Amino acid sequence: MQMNVYLHFTPLGPVLVNEEGQILASDMITQDKDPEKIARFMYELETGNVPERVLGFLASSLSKEYTLAVEDEEVARKISQSLKEVKVTVQPGSKVHRALREQQQAIVEKAFGISYSDYYRLVREATILLARWKVKEVAEKRDLYVAQAVNALDDVNKTINLFASRVREWYGLHFPELNDIVEDHEDYFKIVSKLGSRSNISLEKLKELGFKDDLAQKIVKAASNSMGAELTEFDLNAIRLLSDAGLQLYSIRRNLEKYIDEAMYDVAPNIRGLVGPTLGARLISLAGGLEKLARLPASTIQVLGAEKALFRALRFGARPPKHGVIFQHPYIHKSPKWQRGKIARALAGKLAIAARIDAFTGEYKADELREDLEKRIEEIKTLYAKPPAKQAKKEPAQKKFRGHGKRKGESK
Amino acid sequence: MIRPVKVVEHEKFPGIYVVEYEDGTKKLATVNLAPGVKVYDETLIQHGDKELRTWNPYRSKLAGAIHKGITINPIKPGVKVLYLGVASGTTPSHVSDIIGPKGVLFGVEFAPRVMREFIEKVAVHRENVVPLLADARFPTKYAHVVELVDVVYADIAQPFQAKYVADNADMFLKSGGYIMMAIKAMSIDVTATPSETYKREITHLEERGYKVKEVKHLEPYDEAHAFVVAQKP
Ligand SMILES: C[S@@+](CC[C@H](N)C(=O)[O-])C[C@H]1O[C@@H](n2cnc3c(N)ncnc32)[C@H](O)[C@@H]1O
Repeated sequence: MQMNVYLHFTPLGPVLVNEEGQILASDMITQDKDPEKIARFMYELETGNVPERVLGFLASSLSKEYTLAVEDEEVARKISQSLKEVKVTVQPGSKVHRALREQQQAIVEKAFGISYSDYYRLVREATILLARWKVKEVAEKRDLYVAQAVNALDDVNKTINLFASRVREWYGLHFPELNDIVEDHEDYFKIVSKLGSRSNISLEKLKELGFKDDLAQKIVKAASNSMGAELTEFDLNAIRLLSDAGLQLYSIRRNLEKYIDEAMYDVAPNIRGLVGPTLGARLISLAGGLEKLARLPASTIQVLGAEKALFRALRFGARPPKHGVIFQHPYIHKSPKWQRGKIARALAGKLAIAARIDAFTGEYKADELREDLEKRIEEIKTLYAKPPAKQAKKEPAQKKFRGHGKRKGESK
Repeated sequence: MIRPVKVVEHEKFPGIYVVEYEDGTKKLATVNLAPGVKVYDETLIQHGDKELRTWNPYRSKLAGAIHKGITINPIKPGVKVLYLGVASGTTPSHVSDIIGPKGVLFGVEFAPRVMREFIEKVAVHRENVVPLLADARFPTKYAHVVELVDVVYADIAQPFQAKYVADNADMFLKSGGYIMMAIKAMSIDVTATPSETYKREITHLEERGYKVKEVKHLEPYDEAHAFVVAQKP
């Protein structure tokens, strides 16, 4: 009769036991108790790649008369492919395997001479490492998808602006006063698409569309006193084609923003936590990918997106730019001008750290990073509360950031 | 804010507490194993030298089942638990509190995003938690890590969940150990009425040799959910 030998894997290495559960042989894959090596070993096992080392161990420990019982099918296949003379059976949850798992403590102590507490600590560290690796692996390459999405978002924003100007000019022939009353493009599109002709505009209908009372009143009043030309249904339909498309673009924009938000959570949670999903995605896009961003020095991240100005500075000796696309962050554009350079430098420094964590290790540290940054910004604000003497008089009114129509959401 | 006036240990279940408030309302709570760290929107209450975390039955099916009066709860200090479907860790964090420093929770989850949250919000702060990014349908893929456990807790909302739960219990559950399983009727099979789904899942466990001890419907804490406790002979 052939003897059965059971192959029991532990995170520290394989153990061979007989029917009675006696240890016949074992192999510890890392003598120096390195959690990274353990994680790599577990990864191999999970993916069905039995490491060479284990195959070698089996070849040297087994002679032909044994039947080898393992629990995982892929592992069995791999072993029988490499060790043709060994007979392998698959027995998940066999009595012996269950008994071994019950005695895990005794087994690791006997086979590897390691205390259970040391063993447990190592295993836990390794599983955390491994889970982080695998999460990252899944997110890999998605950085380029997110980069495309944020570029698409910019396209959509540009198109919205383009369509809005056209619709405002076009519909303005009929109702010129509306242009100044309704600033928000989406609101404007709504009036054109859903209500159409001036004569169809009423308080009730505006409220149904979600307009606030005082704004609605202003619109109704302007509509009844308008100096614009008459509009036929035939002409209106043509304007609506564009206005409807404008509304649709808004819906696309919202969906894209949602996609970017969710995808950034997987791709770069720390960058997202620090500066928000859209700006984070823009930085990834400008750098050409997450890893590339992670390899940039903070000083480059600070001016990403200001390449033209940088070029001008180098070429014509103009003043170098203090910030690129990170200017979009309220930390910077809401601060007085003379503080912006310093804040930009602090933000870029934290971004560089966040990018490295996202690209290489994957733990979540954004809240700490943000706290540090906010502390530093407070410092800057107290240290440089007043503008430098020379510029004090000419400090221009704070520039309001207006990118593309109304911007909601992104600020932190 | 309504202040807690009294904290007592749960009359049946060690490791679980009941907090009484000024207005007479009561809440379940567990002792925070990671003081100062919140996992979801629970409240932290200082009680002597311990910090308690309130445990919301509308957010956690195990708390719901306790409110609905299950009489068996094998999750107690010092036990080992294999938890399938940890998600971002709401219930698992309380399980980790209850089993305490001598227990171990092997936490399986296959969605990377929630796993990331689970790692950073739960696993790194709690030494009794071992996170496993893996598919509960293929238990041999984590058989090298998971030891024999006292409880297999399952909340994975998969069709034929009972089959996978039994597969896991066959490999990892001690004899005499318990399965605790939340069955979400709707997502398991939309065409069947809830009770049919419950029955099918329960029958499957019994056919696999597990003795079903308790079945509780979780309304009003959870719509169309049942909670099953079964024992391995
Ligand atoms: C209802 S949630 C669990 C909630 C959690 N038990 C709690 O109470 O806090 C179900 C989870 O199971 C996970 N899941 C579903 N199928 C799975 C599978 N085959 N393996 C591992 N996890 C799975 C889902 O990704 C989801 O996060």
